[in-house]
Amino acid sequence: MWSFSNIANNIHAWLGNNFNPTMTLVIEMVLAGVAVIGLFAGLGLVLVIMERKVSAWMQIRLGPNRVGPKGMLQSLADTIKLIVKEGLTPDGADKFLFNLAPFIAMIVAMLLMAPIAFAKDFQLWDLNIGVLFVSAVSSIMVISILMAGWASNNKYSLMGAMRSGAQIVSYELSAGLSILTIVVLSGSLSVSDIIYSQADGWWIFKGHIPVLIAFVTFIIAVTAETNRAPFDLAEAESELTAGFHTEYSGMKFALFFLAEYVNVFIVCAIGATLFLGGWMPFHIGSWEGFNQVMDYIPSSIWFFGKTFFLIFVIMWFRWTFPRLRIDQLLNLEWKYLLPISMINLLIVTAMAILKWHF
Amino acid sequence: MFIKKYIQDIWGAVKSLLTGMRRTMYYFTHHKEIITEQYPDNRDTLQLPERFKGEVVMPHDENNEHRCTGCQACELACPNGTIKVIFKNEINAEGKKKKAIDKLVYHLELCTMCNLCIEACPSDAIKMAQTFEHSVFDRNELTKILNNPGSKIMEGVE
Amino acid sequence: MNGSTIIFYLLAAMALVFAALSVTTRQIFRAAIYLLFTLISIAGIYFWLQYEFIAAVQIVVYVGGIVVLIIFSIFLTQQTGEKLPKQKTDRKIFAGLAVFAGFALTILQIYQHTFFETDESAITPTVQNIGTKMLTVDNGGYALPFEVISMLLLAAMIGCIVIALREKKNIEPQRQEDREEHKRIV
Repeated sequence: MWSFSNIANNIHAWLGNNFNPTMTLVIEMVLAGVAVIGLFAGLGLVLVIMERKVSAWMQIRLGPNRVGPKGMLQSLADTIKLIVKEGLTPDGADKFLFNLAPFIAMIVAMLLMAPIAFAKDFQLWDLNIGVLFVSAVSSIMVISILMAGWASNNKYSLMGAMRSGAQIVSYELSAGLSILTIVVLSGSLSVSDIIYSQADGWWIFKGHIPVLIAFVTFIIAVTAETNRAPFDLAEAESELTAGFHTEYSGMKFALFFLAEYVNVFIVCAIGATLFLGGWMPFHIGSWEGFNQVMDYIPSSIWFFGKTFFLIFVIMWFRWTFPRLRIDQLLNLEWKYLLPISMINLLIVTAMAILKWHF
Repeated sequence: MFIKKYIQDIWGAVKSLLTGMRRTMYYFTHHKEIITEQYPDNRDTLQLPERFKGEVVMPHDENNEHRCTGCQACELACPNGTIKVIFKNEINAEGKKKKAIDKLVYHLELCTMCNLCIEACPSDAIKMAQTFEHSVFDRNELTKILNNPGSKIMEGVE
Repeated sequence: MNGSTIIFYLLAAMALVFAALSVTTRQIFRAAIYLLFTLISIAGIYFWLQYEFIAAVQIVVYVGGIVVLIIFSIFLTQQTGEKLPKQKTDRKIFAGLAVFAGFALTILQIYQHTFFETDESAITPTVQNIGTKMLTVDNGGYALPFEVISMLLLAAMIGCIVIALREKKNIEPQRQEDREEHKRIV
């Protein structure tokens, strides 16, 4: 059957026949790089237009509707505008770090793509600590924000960067703990093992209420980690003009913008992998007919469907809730999310030992 | 008790958040509720709300007569000097001199559409029109004379 | 020299160059960033050795924790763009000597140490193996060091809490006085 893993295997076999091993590896790396960059560009365009349409419909507006059919080419036009614009560097800025920061944001987002399984057996790097890798590398993200805020030599930027630092460092804890619940249940850190452990049902169905609580905590924590409303204190247009990227313009700003959306995609992909079974089709117990129909839908469609559903949920949050104040934000994490997810992890561990899950 | 309050807090928060999310989901799925006006495209079918205030006008009837007595109530009511009443002396049929308006000057560029002049007018001589496309290239065009040339006051309006 | 060796030398050179830069730069924030790059290069070496778990822990602890903490303290104390004063020559000489002595000592130790060859196959550094080793009490287990470290961490945590609580009590009456004085002035 026609699938991503077949295509990848065919390319690998063809390259192996025509080039020596080193050359094959180099060509495959280049291909993977090009594929990731292509995915980035596509995701940026799709997610920006999706966000604008969703926000418009939720606020009883029409949204972009001038460029292209139903306004669908709006984000392409915006991209061209951003490429053509001048990328200013302020006089008092630390020029080296100022120009480095957006690239670090982008490189981190690219690294995070590595362990994600996009379709059945289709993964850039199936390393045995996939989930830990994601939460480790995503902590470099905060450095790029801190760097941008400091190097801009602007009080708004510095305030935004500090807020974002406090926010990401504290929300990483509950995100990590909610990821751990699934690691405890499936007994592995590897992304592919976690997906295969859900062959007989997704964890959100198999794991009763504790996993549901972990799922809600995870969604809240990653919304905060990606600096999106209602946790967008780092940008906070109405207080800090644009927070850490106040001084950025043109393509350097676009890189930050793109990195934000790609990060949203990545955390939703991780959420879909952990709780909704990644590319696993939806199966119900012993309904053979139903299960076979579900198997006919390609695995990549399952994966992207679940991911985009989670992205929609995060957008739904963003356009419904008002922004939190910094003390409310830290209260929410340290007084509510963290104790709840700790107790929840204990319950899940007991559940995993006593085999109470399905 | 502490634990009870803690759980109540969480429950209340979740409930209120879900209420908000239900409302936005309703709007997301009901596109008929969209209130955006696609303005230059729908100029012909544009429906303005009844109380929309665009500029001050003075209605005239078919005999070129208005209802303004020149009492200056509007000029006094205006908070930022938008209206100036300029008088002339008119001799009526009985040979008496009578004060009447020569020009009622209205500075659209100063007007804030506060409606105070219309409320102050004792004889309902002026009202708010719904026109709103006021942009011009010369600022002087915004200084308008509300009464038509050669118009006079309607019979019976004091 | 194959690709793997080239990558190792690249990572090692990066770690060394950024380490040198981080002590020679006169802008304190840049020093923190160079330190970050050094730590990431070391994580890269762990990845190269295929110790993925150690590499990830290196990134979580050093990059996500310590460097962010350092950067925060720089944010709270320093001004952007101000260069640190130049060091005095005698200090430079002492620092150089100390570094040289430390380096010489390490090299000497490595050369004098006799490394035993073992026939046992290497244990793959999976999370499972690391966890089991960490909590076994029989030969080759690390339960005792693990417990000692957790005692240390517990002591540190209690110390933090004690310090935080005491500070608050001392400040509160001061604030009360300030408030009363403020009232009197008003």
